[in-house]
Amino acid sequence: MQKRGAPFFAGYYILLLFALYLPIGILFLFSLNDGVVFAFPLKGLTTHWYRDMLRNAELLQAGMNSLQVAVASSLAATSLATTSAIALLRFQFKGKSPFIALALVPLLVPYIILGAALLVLFAILGVERSLWTVAVAHTIVSLPYALLVIMARMVGFDKHLEEAAQDLGATYVYTLRRVILPLIAPAILAAWLVAFTVSFDEFILASFLIGRRPTLPVYLLSQLRFANRFPQVIALTVLVMLASLSLVLLAQWLQRRGSAIPESDRSGQFARVPGFEDLAFQGEGSSEPHE
Amino acid sequence: MSQRTKDQNVFFVLILMLTFVLTACSGAAQPTSEPAATEATEALATEAPVQSGSLTVLEWAGYEIPEMWVDFGNTYPDANVTFNFGGSDPDIYGKVLAGSSEDIIHMYTPFLNFYVEEGLIQPLDTSKLTNWEKVPQGFKDACTIDGEVYCVPWDWGYSSILYRTDKIPEGVDSWEALMDAKYAGHISMWDDGPSAVSVGSYLKGYDETNLTDEQLEEIKQLWIEQRDKNLFYWVDEPALEEAISSGDVWVAYAWNGAFYRLLQAGVPVAYADPKEGRNSWIGQYAISTKAENYDLALAFLDSKLGEETATHLLVDYAYGHPIPEYFSVVEDPLLVQALSLDDPGILERTNFTVPISSANRDRFVEMWAEVKAAP
Amino acid sequence: MLKNRTIAWSLLTPSAAWLILFFVLPMIGMLILSLRPDMRGGPFQLGWLPTVKHYQNIITGEVYLPLLWLSIKVAFGVAMAATLLAYPLAYFLVFHAGRRSSFLLTLAILPFWTSYLLRIIAWKTMLGSNGLVNNLLIYLGLVEEPVRILLYSRLAVIVTLVYVWLPFVALPIFASLHRINPSFLEAAAILGASPWRSFFKVTLPLSLPGVIAGFFMVFIPTVGEYITPMLVGGTRSTLYGNIIELYFGDGANWPLGSAMSVVMLAGVLLLALVISRLVDLRRLVG
Repeated sequence: MQKRGAPFFAGYYILLLFALYLPIGILFLFSLNDGVVFAFPLKGLTTHWYRDMLRNAELLQAGMNSLQVAVASSLAATSLATTSAIALLRFQFKGKSPFIALALVPLLVPYIILGAALLVLFAILGVERSLWTVAVAHTIVSLPYALLVIMARMVGFDKHLEEAAQDLGATYVYTLRRVILPLIAPAILAAWLVAFTVSFDEFILASFLIGRRPTLPVYLLSQLRFANRFPQVIALTVLVMLASLSLVLLAQWLQRRGSAIPESDRSGQFARVPGFEDLAFQGEGSSEPHE
Repeated sequence: MSQRTKDQNVFFVLILMLTFVLTACSGAAQPTSEPAATEATEALATEAPVQSGSLTVLEWAGYEIPEMWVDFGNTYPDANVTFNFGGSDPDIYGKVLAGSSEDIIHMYTPFLNFYVEEGLIQPLDTSKLTNWEKVPQGFKDACTIDGEVYCVPWDWGYSSILYRTDKIPEGVDSWEALMDAKYAGHISMWDDGPSAVSVGSYLKGYDETNLTDEQLEEIKQLWIEQRDKNLFYWVDEPALEEAISSGDVWVAYAWNGAFYRLLQAGVPVAYADPKEGRNSWIGQYAISTKAENYDLALAFLDSKLGEETATHLLVDYAYGHPIPEYFSVVEDPLLVQALSLDDPGILERTNFTVPISSANRDRFVEMWAEVKAAP
Repeated sequence: MLKNRTIAWSLLTPSAAWLILFFVLPMIGMLILSLRPDMRGGPFQLGWLPTVKHYQNIITGEVYLPLLWLSIKVAFGVAMAATLLAYPLAYFLVFHAGRRSSFLLTLAILPFWTSYLLRIIAWKTMLGSNGLVNNLLIYLGLVEEPVRILLYSRLAVIVTLVYVWLPFVALPIFASLHRINPSFLEAAAILGASPWRSFFKVTLPLSLPGVIAGFFMVFIPTVGEYITPMLVGGTRSTLYGNIIELYFGDGANWPLGSAMSVVMLAGVLLLALVISRLVDLRRLVG
C-alpha cells in the first residue's frame, strides 16, 4: 500500500468533507435563526422553531408519511431483490439476461419520465393517487440498487456451500433458510438501507404520485411559499439528519462488535462498511483458490 | 452464525419493529374520514335549516385553518369540514378532471372557465347568498360566465412591478421596466406563460383573449429578447423576496404579498402603478357538480364573504377581500400601502385576469416553453 | 448451479410481474399517450385519433432537440466532475484510511441523508451575492464586487448538482477499489513500477467498472434533472426536464410531455447500449 501522498489525500478528504457539510451547517444555523428570511446576517438565536415544529401536526405527519412509504417500498424492493438474486445466481434457466435487463432498466429512466408514466397508468386504471402509488414507484427505482448489492455479495460466495448442504440431505427450503439467507443477510440489510434512503428523500416520483397526504420532501417544497413556516421545516430536517446519523453510528457499533472474529469463508482483509465486507476479498482480477 | 451476523439480525429486527410501531401509531392518529353522506341527506330531508353535514374542500395550503372560514364555523358548529390540498391551479384542475370528488373547489381566475367548459362545477343560486350584494360588480363579473354565476370571489391581489427604490430612484411607471436594458441582470419575471402573454399584450396593445398567431409570435420574441436581461424566473415568493432583499433583483413581476413582506422587513421597495394598468388575480370558490350537500356548500361560500373571515384574510395573510366596506379593519399602514387601500381609483385602472379558453392556454404555455428552451 | 426450474421461476415471478405491471405497462401507456392530440376531456377519454404531431413538433421544431442535447452535455459535465472529484476521495478511504475507512466513508455519505431540496437551498444562500462564498472572496480581497455568476446560472446548476451527487459517486468507486487484491500492487512494486505507473497500469484499470458505474449513476438521472435548474438556475439554465415538468404540471399537456419523454428515453437508451458494450453485464451473473 502506498503511504506516500497520504497527507495530500487526507487533506483532500477533509476539504471535501468540509464542503459537503458546510450547507448542512448553514441549515443548522438557520434553524436557530430568530427570523424568517433565509439570508445572512442572522437575527438572533432561538430554539422556538423546534418547538413550533413539534407542534406542527402537518409537518410531523408528512414526516411520518415519508417513513411509511420508505418502509413499505424498501421492504418490498428488498424482498423482490433477494428472491431474484437467488434465482439468478443459483439456478440455470433461460431468460436470465432479459430479466436482468428488465430489472436494471429502471436505472436508465430519469425519474421524471417514470413518474409521468406511472401517473398516466394510474389515471387510466382509475387508481387514485396516494402514498401507496408513491411506494410502488419507489419500489421500482430501488429494486435495481437492491438487486445489485445483493448480487455483488452472492457472487463472492462459494457456490458449493449450498450444493454441499443439499448433498448432505437438506431440502432446498432448509438450505435457503439456514445457509443462503444468513450468509447474505448483511447484503440484504445493506440493500434495505439503500432502498430506504432512496425512498425517504425522493421528491420527483412523490410529487407526481401523491394523493392527499404529502411526503416530507413534497411538503417541504410546498412550504417554500410560506416564508414564515419555513424555518420549522429546516428544524425537522436537521432532526432527521441527526436521527440518521445515530442510526448509522449504531450500525457501525454493531458491526465493530462482531468483527473481532474473521469469518471463515473469507481470506484476505475485510472492511467494516455495512454490506461491503464481502467485497473485500476475491475481487476481480484475483485468483480464486477454491475453484 | 457469527456474533456479527447475530447482531445484524438483531439490528434488522429492531429497525423493523421500530418502524412498524411508528407506522401503527400514525395510523391510529389519522383523522377519521368524513361521516357518511346519510347524515347530510337526512338534514336535507327535514325542513329545518342545514345545521350539520359534511363538506370537503379542495384547497391551497394555508387556507384550511379555522380563521379562514370562521364565519361558517360559527354558524354551523356541527358541520364537519375536511380539506384536501393541491399545489397549484393546474394541479387542482387536474385532480378534479381525474375524478377527485371534493364538494368545494378553490381556484383562481384564469381557470374558472376550464371547469365550466368541462362541466365540473355548477351554477350558484345567488339569491341564497346573503352577502352577494356587497360584492362590487367587477368581482361579480369575474365569476359570471354566459350569464350564470359560477363562483364566489374571495382572496385577491395585484400583480404589478415591484422594485427597489434605492436602485431605481427614478421609479417605474410601465411594464416596460421588465424589459429595460438599464436593469439587465436584475430583473425577475414570474415563471408563468399566460402571465407573460398578458404583460406582452399590455405592452403591444393587443387583446389577450383574441391573439392571432402572429401576435403571439411577436410576444414570444419580446420575451426571448428579455431573457438576457432577466436574472431568473421566480417560482416561489420567498425566493423572489430573498433576491430583492439581497439586491440581486431590482425589479420584478410580483404580487402584493411580497411587497408587504418586504415592507415589513424594512427593504426599500415600491409597487408600481403602471400606465398600462396593474393585473389582478382573484381566488374563487365554486361548487362541484358532484357535491351532495349543495345548500351547505353554498352556505360555506356565503360565509367566505363574511366579515370575520374577511378580517383574517386581510390582516393575517395580507390579501384583498372583495367587499370594500371591510377594509376599514386594516390598521397597519404598511398593509394599507401594500393593498393600495388608500388609492380608491386603483381598481378601475386594473386589468382583471380574463378567462381564457383551454386551447389558448395550451398555446400560451407552449409559447413560454419555447421562450425558455430557445437556444 | 441448480437446475430446478420451478423453484427458479417461483422466485422470479413476483419481481417479474411487479416490473411488468408497474414499469413496462406505464411506459407503454406513455407511448400511447404521446400519440394523443390533447388532453381535452380528461385522462379517461378514449375516442381520440392518434397523431404524430407532437413528435413532429419535437424533431423538426428546432427547440426541443437542441435543448435535449444541452441537457446531455450538462449531465455529462456534472458526471465527469463528480467522478473526478470522488475518485481521490474513494482512493483515500481505501488506501490511506486504514481501519477507519468505513466510518469515514459513512461520514462522507451522510449528507446524502439530508433533504436534497434543503441542501440545494442552503447551497443557494452560499452562492448568492450576500452568501458565504462571495463574502469570503471579498474578505480575502480577491474580488471587489460579488461574483454574480455563482448563482442563477448554468455554473450554479452544475456546481450544485456535483455537490449533491458527489457522496453517491464515491460508493461504487470505493467498492471497486476495495476489491483490488493488494498482492497485485505489491507485485507491481516488487517488479519495479513507480507508484504512478502502478496506479495507471493496475489500480485505475481495475477500478474502472466502479468508475463507470458511478459515472452512469449520476449521468442518467441528471439528464432529466429539473429541480436544481428551477431553484438555482438562471434564465438560460432551463433543461429538457424542466419543459417535461412544465407539460405534466402547469402546462397540462401530457401528450406533448409524453412525446418528449419518449424521445429523451430513446436517446438515453441509445447511449446506454453503446456503453453496455464496454461493461458486460453477464460477468455479474456468470
